[in-house]
Order: sequence, then C-alpha cells, then structure tokens
Amino acid sequence: MILDRNIAPAFHAVKSLNFPDYHTYEVRDGLLLYGLNAGTQEVIRLDLIFNAGLIKQISLAQSAFTASMLSEGTSHKSAKDLAEALDYYGSYFQTRNNADDAVATLYCLEKHLSKCLPLFIEALTDSIFPEKELQIQKKNSIQKLMVNEKKNSYLCKKSYYANMYGKEHPYSSFSTKESIEAVNRESLQSFYSSNYILGLKYLMISGKYKDEIINQIIEEMRSTPFQLDSSENLDIQGKSNQGKHFIEKNDSVQSAIRIGKQSISRSHPEFRKLQFLNLIFGGYFGSRLMKNIREDKGLTYGIYSVIEPNLIGSSWYIDSDINTKNRSLGLEEIYKEMAKIREELIPEAEIETARNYYLGSFLRSLDGPFSLADRLKILIDYKLPNTYYPEFVEILNSLGAKELQELAQKYFSEQNIVEVIVGKK
Amino acid sequence: MINYNQFKLDNGLTVIHHFDDSTQLCALNILYNVGSRDEDPSKTGFAHLFEHLMFGASTHVKEFDVELQIAGGESNAFTSNDITNYYVTLPANNIETGFWLESSRMLSLDFNQKSLNVQKNVVIEEFKERYLNQPYGDVWLHVLPLAYQKHPYNWPTIGKEIAHIEQVNLDQVKDFFFNYYAPNNAILVLAGKISLEETKRLSEKWFGPIERRGTQRNPYEQEPVQTEARSKHIYNDVPLDLLVKAYHMGGRLDADYYSCDLLSDILGSGKSARFYNRLVKERHLFSELDTYISGDADPGLFLIEGKLMKGVSFEVAELAILEELEFLKNNPIDPNELTKVLNKTETNIRFGDLSLLNRAMKLAFAEFLGDLSLANTEIDHYLSVTTDSLLEVSKSMFVESNCSTLYYHAKI
Repeated sequence: MILDRNIAPAFHAVKSLNFPDYHTYEVRDGLLLYGLNAGTQEVIRLDLIFNAGLIKQISLAQSAFTASMLSEGTSHKSAKDLAEALDYYGSYFQTRNNADDAVATLYCLEKHLSKCLPLFIEALTDSIFPEKELQIQKKNSIQKLMVNEKKNSYLCKKSYYANMYGKEHPYSSFSTKESIEAVNRESLQSFYSSNYILGLKYLMISGKYKDEIINQIIEEMRSTPFQLDSSENLDIQGKSNQGKHFIEKNDSVQSAIRIGKQSISRSHPEFRKLQFLNLIFGGYFGSRLMKNIREDKGLTYGIYSVIEPNLIGSSWYIDSDINTKNRSLGLEEIYKEMAKIREELIPEAEIETARNYYLGSFLRSLDGPFSLADRLKILIDYKLPNTYYPEFVEILNSLGAKELQELAQKYFSEQNIVEVIVGKK
Repeated sequence: MINYNQFKLDNGLTVIHHFDDSTQLCALNILYNVGSRDEDPSKTGFAHLFEHLMFGASTHVKEFDVELQIAGGESNAFTSNDITNYYVTLPANNIETGFWLESSRMLSLDFNQKSLNVQKNVVIEEFKERYLNQPYGDVWLHVLPLAYQKHPYNWPTIGKEIAHIEQVNLDQVKDFFFNYYAPNNAILVLAGKISLEETKRLSEKWFGPIERRGTQRNPYEQEPVQTEARSKHIYNDVPLDLLVKAYHMGGRLDADYYSCDLLSDILGSGKSARFYNRLVKERHLFSELDTYISGDADPGLFLIEGKLMKGVSFEVAELAILEELEFLKNNPIDPNELTKVLNKTETNIRFGDLSLLNRAMKLAFAEFLGDLSLANTEIDHYLSVTTDSLLEVSKSMFVESNCSTLYYHAKI
C-alpha cells in the first residue's frame, strides 16, 4: 500500500480528564497536610504555604526579605551550617514570596527525608535573621535591582502594575533601593512572627513516597509553634490609571509592551471560558497574536496574552518585545486583533484546534507529581472543587462561537485599558 | 533506571524505544546531528535559523503546528553547538500524528521565500531580545571568540552577527536540508505509553520510505592547546562590573568531564559552596558568583562568572578567585565535601528523570555521543571520581595560560 501523506492519521479528542486521588491528613487542630503520591522516582517535594505574600506586608521589601532570610540561620545553626547540612544530603531548600502567599519548599530524595526534615523545620521555626547576613543580602539585592532597572521588560512590568492597581496596591509594591536600605531585623522578625509562625495555611507533599513518610512529617510538625492562619485578607480594590504610559529609553533596539485591563477572578463562573478565549487570542503558539505578529509579520520573537487571577485583583494583559522600527504597526495589529475577536465569530475549525490542544495540554499538566501538586494548590487556594479540571471537557465542548464573542465583547473591550511602552521615542 | 530498546531502519535511522505506562502521554524526540559547530564561519546562525524553518510547511503538510494542536499535541525545538533537537508530546493514542508530521518534514520541507523572510526577522528579533537589548546580553559574543580561535565554538548558536542571518538565501537552505536532515543523520526516540512493536511498525511505516542521503560533514579544526593567557576589556552601559574567566576543559566523553562538573559544584553551586561563602559572604567582593561547565561534545569550557560589588576593583576580585583556585590545587578536598556534591548530583539526576520528555532527550543525546548506556551509567561515572582525580584536574586546568578573561566594565 502506498502511503498517502496528504491525509492525517486518525486521532481522538481527549474525552475525559482525571484529577487523581490525593490524601488529606490532619496534622493537628485544623492544620492539613495534602499528599499526592505519584510518579516513578523516589523523590519528594514538601511545601509549607504561609499567608506571607505581598498582600500582608506593611513596608516595601518586607515579604521578599523575610522569605529569603529564612535560610540564613537559627539560634543553633549559622547560615553556613544550615546550608552545609542540607546540601550534604543533596537537598534543596527554597523559599519564595508571591503576591498572595509565601512558600517554603524542601526538595530531596525520599531516602534522605528523615535527615533533611528536622533541618528544614528548624530553619522555618527558629529563624533569627542575623544582622550580618541581612546586611549581605541587602547589598546583593540592591546590586540585582540595579541590573533589573536596566531591563525594559522589568520597567514595563513595574509600571504596568502601578497603573493597573494603583501605586499603593500590594501587587504594585516593587522594592526600591531606598526600601531595601530601610529593611531591618525588627520589621522582618515582626513579619515572621505574625505571618509565618501564626500564618501557616497548609502543607503539601508530592512525589513517590512510603506511608511512613507521612507519619514522620506529622510527628515532626506536632511540636512546632506554628499556628493555623486565621487572619483576614484585606480587600483593597485596585484603581487603574487608564490610558497610555510611555517610558523613554533611547538606546533600545526593542520596545517592551504591556497592554491590559482588570479582569475576573478564578472563582468567577465565566473564568474557565475566558481562559479558553484567551488561549485563542494569545495563549499558545497557534494563537492569533502569535500567528499575526510573529509568524506572519516577523515583528517579534514572542507575544502572548495571559489572565493573572490573584486573590484581591485580576488582570488580563498582552506582553511582548517588539522591534522599535515597527512598533506602531505592532500596536495597531494588537488592537486590530482585539477588535476582530469582538466583532467577528471565531471560525469553528479554529475553535476545534484550540479545544483539542487545550485538553491535550491538561493531560500534560496532570502528568507527574509536581505539576499535579501545582494544580492541587490552585484548587486549595481558590477553594475550588476536585471536579474543576475534569469539567473543562464539558465546558469546552459546549462552548460555541457566539458565546465566545459575547465574552470577548465583555472582557476584551478597549474600555479601561492600560498601555505601557518602554523604549525609544 | 531508564529502560530502552534500540533498532535501526534500512535507511540508517536509529530508533530508541522507552516504555512507561504510568503516563497517558507519548513523547517523540528527534535529534539531528547538526549544530552551530557545523556552520561555515562566514555564515553563522544558520543551524538555528533552520530550526525555525522546520516549523513552516512541508510538501504534504501545510501547517505543522495546527495539525499537531488538533491532535492535542505540543512541540518545540532547540539548537545547540552540537545538535538540533525537536520534540513532540501527544496523548499516547494520537502518537501516529507525531510520526506523520516529523517524517513528512524530514522527507521534504516546502522551501519558500516568504517563510524564510519572516523567520529571518523573528530570529533577528530573538538576537536583539536576548543578546542586545539585555544588560550583559552580549557577554558570549565576546568570551567565545577569545576562548576559541580555531574551533567553531567560536560563535554562539544565534550567530556572530545579525548580518549573517540577513544574508541567508533559499538555495543555502535547500542544500543544508538535504545534507543534514537525513534519516541516516538522525536519532528518533519514542518514550511513554507505546509498545516496542507499535514503535517498530510506525517507524517503518512513516520513516522507512525516506531515502538515505549522502550527508557530508563540514570539516573543522580542533582547538589547539592554549599557551598564553588571553584577556579583553569592554565598556558598556551596565550598572556593575562583570568578570568572566573561561578555562579549557575536556569534551563530554573525556575522563575529566565528571571531575570538572563536580569541581564547578564545589566552587559555585548552592549556599554552602566555596565561592559563595568566601568571596560573596565573607569578603563582600561579589554580589553573585557562579561556576558552570559548557557541557559540549567537543572540548568545552569551565566558566567562572561574577558581578563585582560596587567599589571593588577587577584586580582585587580576580586575585581572590585565583587564591581560591590555588587553594583548590594545593589541598585535597575533604571527602565530606565530595560526598556532598555527589549527593547533589544524584538528586539532580533523579529529579531530571521524573520528566518523560527529559528521559527521551537524555537517551537521544547519549546515543548521539556514541554511548547509549550513558543515560543510566552517568551516576557511576560521577561516583568513580576521587579526591585525587579532583586535585589532578584542578592542577592541570586552573592555569592562567589556559584561561581567557573578560573584563566587562560598567561605563560611568
């Protein structure tokens, strides 16, 4: 039989998605440990999630510095002793502060967990913020900031948040040189006591592990001073400074561009549909923005749009670095694409391609223990049901061109838009 | 342990199969034995530009990405000094779409001027975004020509300059394709929920009919042994001084490769590393100081890269690095320190093996190097490193006549 390459082999659309079973253990009085046992390698990731993100900080840089100083020493171990001990067992101790929370993570081989766990817990429960280490971190962090401030993309992002939510909003609280210089032990210790020791939200373990590992963690956690977070989050409504904002950088061969507007939260009934609409618009390689501005016109190396749903504010934005010479053409095409998706029905074939791709991408992101853990974290943080991801199949299958157009008119209008450009005049 | 089977088609295509039924996915990875080291020095950036063109139309498939997306798949690719690697992941029951798409573009790409023009522009924007419009983005454009005077590692994969990309024409593209994109110059890996029988059947069906091609390799010189220290000063609009020291080391299959990798961990990886503790924390000479190896197939580089603390001079900073290297050359490493970096290495390998796609790429790269078993025996090579071999390697490598130094000055 002669092979006919003009005809695609038969394929099947994804018919169902399955969010795997996970376990919930009560550590003590309402404090939960979630367990996701999956994968083929005996490796572990243990996360402790604290209500210690930007939304909790009183002064600039407080949340970031508290997170990064957690590994810098306890009353029994210096920063170096702690690092030596954790490194000796091949483990990684990472802390990061996000907009809405802060996460401390231990990565290690299952066989070394019993050695690493006490060190990890000691660092988190007995952090003393040594002055010497703080001074070093402050200096290094100012140097990093100086480099960032030379990047158009950084300046663009910073201005975007300030204009999207207002300068006083937690999501636009970028550190400055002065705010880093002003960081002191007292302010970090106070943030640590109220938002870490009294602000633990939950624990999550993912990877491949034996049951006794769970007991070890629960045992180790029992005697810790951590208290379940019971604080109320502030509800600060961001106020956008709408319109066009230009930051001049005359030596640039490319302009950084961000265009966006406030959007809906993850728990909004239309959120999943809007995510799909965004996918078609600028959310994957086959999106309209990529096809037009990169693949047809070659104006950029990359362009995408994203919905960023946070607890006290969500925004939808388009982000790209565009050739300075063709910047006005690029901007014109972005707004044209926005108008087009509002004014014309999306062709059925385009919807089908995007739908099949999207369901396939869920299959990919529900594969492997750590990406599953990331999904589970979203379910917990936004109090979503376990059916949240599996339901995508049905939602996407019943979503048609008419409804997508209505969503575009509602959420992708040019009203209240914030546009930031950093580049050459 | 990564299980695998290997077979070869009559047209010379090497196929490796790795079975994993814990996933619902299947990955198809294809490695072409062509990278920037195979380029003509006056036409650099070609292999990478070509990678972009592979996502255009082929004779039988108008839109590669759309056909893949509609079957729920995703793809990407990268070009290195040594190879060009393409990968596709799909729901396992749709893997035949991957075979169809990859084999059709290997059979005959549809060369057209519009696609070439657009991708030239996209790559030029990539050049600007990564190398020109970033503080320190052009570091490699300076370090590589200093370290390599003969060998084609002299330029980065993006190319020496934008003009080389602008000058590419359609005939060159065709020649390059028929020369290097041949079944006998490729390694195909199927990984995931697919049986060996199915892998054989589909490989035969889709790749079998493609004819063997007469790949001719561009001969290039090996880098001669460096005999005197080299250095270069540049001045740019950056906020901090940056120091880069590049020492020649062995290739990926050389005996000292594993020792060099461990030495880079001892000096520069993590918060217990020597450089971080002594030069960043105790002496406040750098705000960041990293060490790493280039990991190329041919003899590569051991790199030290650090941003100087404001107010510290290059002389003081460099001397401090040299003192640490002298100490390393004259004092055996504590066995605990060796155990520590070995444990770190084991963690990195195990975490890396978690990903199906990583396993597929690791198999392809091991076969490319000429030793498929490396995908599993890498850890044994690390474990066989001794404190004596670390001492030997540091003594022979950390010599200034073997080093190229870049002083990247912040223009005031």
